[in-house]
Amino acid sequence: MRYLLISCLCLLFTACASYPKKNNFQERDTSEKEISLPYFSSEAKDYVYKANIEVYGNTLSGLFIVKKLGESNHRIVFTTEMGKTIFDFSFLNNVFTVNYIIDDIDKSILINILKRDFQVLIQEKFPVIASYESEDGIIYETVLGKRTYYYSKTKLEDKIVYTRNGKEKIRFLFSDVNGMISNKISILHTAIKLEINLKTFN
Amino acid sequence: MRNIIYIFFLIGTLASAQVKMSQAEAEDLKLKVKSQAATIHTLQSDFIQYKHLDFLANDIETSGKLVFKSPDIVKWEYTEPFNYSVLFKDKTLFINNEGNKSDLDVGSSDLFKQLNGLIVNSIKGDMFDEDQFTITYFKDTSNSVVHSVSKDEKFSKYIKAFHITFNAEGEVIELKMIEPTDDYTRIIFSNRTVNTPIADAVFAH
Repeated sequence: MRYLLISCLCLLFTACASYPKKNNFQERDTSEKEISLPYFSSEAKDYVYKANIEVYGNTLSGLFIVKKLGESNHRIVFTTEMGKTIFDFSFLNNVFTVNYIIDDIDKSILINILKRDFQVLIQEKFPVIASYESEDGIIYETVLGKRTYYYSKTKLEDKIVYTRNGKEKIRFLFSDVNGMISNKISILHTAIKLEINLKTFN
Repeated sequence: MRNIIYIFFLIGTLASAQVKMSQAEAEDLKLKVKSQAATIHTLQSDFIQYKHLDFLANDIETSGKLVFKSPDIVKWEYTEPFNYSVLFKDKTLFINNEGNKSDLDVGSSDLFKQLNGLIVNSIKGDMFDEDQFTITYFKDTSNSVVHSVSKDEKFSKYIKAFHITFNAEGEVIELKMIEPTDDYTRIIFSNRTVNTPIADAVFAH
């Protein structure tokens, strides 16, 4: 009985531990004030990706289009290969607008998930709150809206992780980087069956 | 003053580029297109597709080949800048997305039936179903342009209007699909061949 109680307490303790603690990240002195993510930062460029969105076993493929129209002003559109628009969103000074969405997926739960995901995608500067040493390099803790994210960078990719109760829930990966362009971007959810994979084709 | 007259003249010229047809002209076009479409058993054509979004600097250009076999098998095969094909056959949508194959049973979807009917008929040029669409006919130099707006509210929320351009021979040379947001997709056809045999393998999935 005592062992059971101890096990339960241990479980409770580890379940509540923060993401850095769970992963044995060691806090370090932070000199950096912000992180830059420049992959959708040019107003001159039309960002067009071939996209595969997998949601609960269904695959939607098409073109994922991002345009920066000004400071804190982005438009994000997803169309089928044949040109039919599936959704069309605007982000202007943190105000999110649905310009169009097909009836079949016009669900507020899904729209909210996409809104949060895309907000991370187009965010150019993230404030650094803390930083940690890990086996894979330096991890930066940052915040966007009310959510805490962890950012790290290797030679191969930029990674942003969103956690809840110390567990990874969403992973954003920017890889195959060429200058200011990330040719491959993934948004991988672990709490729900949703995966968004983008790649350039030109 | 002279400038104002020029401007009015210019506006007049631009506005007259597309003129509404008379009832008799519209009937002539329908007859020509229908009789031409009735002879089509197979059709192959290259196409270039331009996806226009108002906020982009450039339209998104993709291209490929369209293959049609009477009565209702259609394959859109994109080859540039990526490989993607969609085959409408036996009330099913077969997709080949860069080698990843999938299919979708759409037999029970009214929206899809209407969409597929529209695609087949617009390829053949035979799309004058005035029960389902409000149709307006225009002349544009030697071409004819037909605007179709669905009477079904659900369909209109999906696609606002179709504009089909026919050449003097009554063949479809351009298809424009307008979105509820007024962005559009424009498809230009070229190298059209009619009634040449098509191997079954083309429609295998």
